[in-house]
Amino acid sequence: MNANATSALRRDFRSSLRLESPCEFSAVRSATLQVRDWLAEKGLSEAELGGWELALVEAANNAVKYVPAEKRNLPVVIEISAGERDVEARITDHTAGFEWPEEIDLPDVESENGRGLFLIKSLTDNVAYLRNSHQNVMVLQRARAKVEKELVPDSGRLQAKLAEAEAALNDMTAELASSYESLVAMFRYSAELGAHTDVKDFSQRLLRDLMQIAEADCAVLRLLSTDGKKLETLLVLPDHAPAILPPVALVENKPSVEIGAARNRQDIWFDPDEPLDKYDPLYAVMPVGNGICHAFFVANQLVGTAALGRFAAEKPFTAAQVNLLHTFIDFLAIQIVNARLLDERTATRVTRRELQIAADIQRSLLPESVPACLPLELSVACQSALQVGGDFYDLIPAGDGAVLLVIADVMGKGVPAALFAAVLRSTIRSMPQLFSQPAELLEAANRTLYPDLSRVDMFATAQVVYLDSRGAKLVSASAGHCPLLFWQPSKAEASAIGQSGFPLGIEVSAKYYQTATVLPPGSAALLYTDGLSEMRNAAGEMLGEKRLLELLARAGAQTTDTHAARHFLLGRIADYCGNAPLTDDQTLILIRNTA
Amino acid sequence: MNIQHKDSQTSVVTGLQELVAANAAQVRDEIRAALPAGCLYLDLDLSTLSFLDSSGFGTLISLHKTLRSRNGTVRLIKPASNIQQILELTRLHRVFEIVA
Repeated sequence: MNANATSALRRDFRSSLRLESPCEFSAVRSATLQVRDWLAEKGLSEAELGGWELALVEAANNAVKYVPAEKRNLPVVIEISAGERDVEARITDHTAGFEWPEEIDLPDVESENGRGLFLIKSLTDNVAYLRNSHQNVMVLQRARAKVEKELVPDSGRLQAKLAEAEAALNDMTAELASSYESLVAMFRYSAELGAHTDVKDFSQRLLRDLMQIAEADCAVLRLLSTDGKKLETLLVLPDHAPAILPPVALVENKPSVEIGAARNRQDIWFDPDEPLDKYDPLYAVMPVGNGICHAFFVANQLVGTAALGRFAAEKPFTAAQVNLLHTFIDFLAIQIVNARLLDERTATRVTRRELQIAADIQRSLLPESVPACLPLELSVACQSALQVGGDFYDLIPAGDGAVLLVIADVMGKGVPAALFAAVLRSTIRSMPQLFSQPAELLEAANRTLYPDLSRVDMFATAQVVYLDSRGAKLVSASAGHCPLLFWQPSKAEASAIGQSGFPLGIEVSAKYYQTATVLPPGSAALLYTDGLSEMRNAAGEMLGEKRLLELLARAGAQTTDTHAARHFLLGRIADYCGNAPLTDDQTLILIRNTA
Repeated sequence: MNIQHKDSQTSVVTGLQELVAANAAQVRDEIRAALPAGCLYLDLDLSTLSFLDSSGFGTLISLHKTLRSRNGTVRLIKPASNIQQILELTRLHRVFEIVA
């Protein structure tokens, strides 16, 4: 730069400096640094120097930024004079000039421009902007920091430095104290974590400490509801019932800084210049003064919002206090999420235990042994997709070498399905007089179960088979269940037999039909649930009744042993499905005439 | 000025000396150009920054907007006390997370 430091003149009691700088940003910046050095020699404190440096930079930048092209060759002139009581600067520009506004406010926080004049005004005591046709002069004036005068001459600078050091030390002490308090609080909370799982109690103590350290007068903590749709009030301090702030829905378009902070993931501030909307729910707690609302997240998921308020209008929260808010609340967020996970884990453990009990009950209802019915022989397999399934079967000795076979599938899985399976079992067992008439048995069972099943919109399919060993005969009836499959050695193919009616619980006066079939020696019949026929292979194709018929014929032809035939069936089905995990319960009962 | 990528989501700018009218636009453009597409967190290390004027604020706010459009944030790391005072005076501590 060719700034020309002309002279430092002694004028009355003032010294002065005049610099001419080319009309470029970098050149005026160098000039302001020269002015700073010069002011330092005059004994200004670091704080005063920083203020003057920035005010001059802003004034000089304006002189460069708005100069018309034809006047860019004219210099920006900076004149400064320092007396014992004040410092005055004059910046001469060749722009078109402007009217110095009466009020200067900060622009919107997101605006990228418009803070220069605010800074100049804030950093000086008086500003005048004098315009004429050739050039304009901005005059800035500011009183000097007071210095103790009774000390020996020339000790002013020393005294100023001392005062400055003391102020800095005080600041540092205050910051350290607040950091120390935060640290102590954090350690205390961490130590208490094992003992306390009550989120509200923990949050209350944390929020009270935060209010004290951050010098806040009130605070509101809200948490996202479990359905994720609204913010519910957990705490209002000091000592208001949370009911004072009803929940706010996240989707609502009502004024709410809490919803704004949560949606935009950004802190929202309010103060006397930008007060809370009177219809903002928070207004009930923080009507005037300063405040900040912070939304907190864990793993990118909204957990809640925290708002801090201070009633004194002239004392906005500082950056250090905002940091405290972030540190405390983000720590709290993790504790809240951890507490929830712990609760969920406990609940899961309880549910698992309940399911285990239900599964034990269900297993206890299944027949312990397979009744003898020779020459007819039975082989059974039952696998549940869940711990507690909806499939069930029963083998009830019916006297005189007869056995009643029941296979059923209650819609759904889990505990409710298992409970209805138990009820169905008891209902059928309570009507031994109807065992030999499966159609009537189903009609009676349907009438008994219908009121309960229809009330909870449940239903069950069932196949009942009365096996009479004396004539190697079976009588079957079906309530919406998979058909009975039948194979005899004299025929190459197996076939489905019988006629099906409504599942149980659909129609109170449902009619059922029974079919009597003789099982010749070597023949086989298969009862199963749809979990078996609806197994899918890797291509997503269902096993289906047709393939099951083929497999039954192959199993029958393969071996005369009933259990070996069942193993063969299950093995081929597993091959078909490629050992995919069970998606439904599977039950099958294979009947063989071993004569 | 140096821009490092701590991980796929975090970039750190260090070595800023001054952020003023003379270099504000250039610094903004250089940082923007160096930001990976997936960057969500931009940490500006201000510990070496000795001076910041209103044009510098423009750069900070512009970067803040860029990151916010990706649902990310700009953090100001360790600003000197004089810089922090100016941020507070202009209320920009309400926009940025300032890490002491």
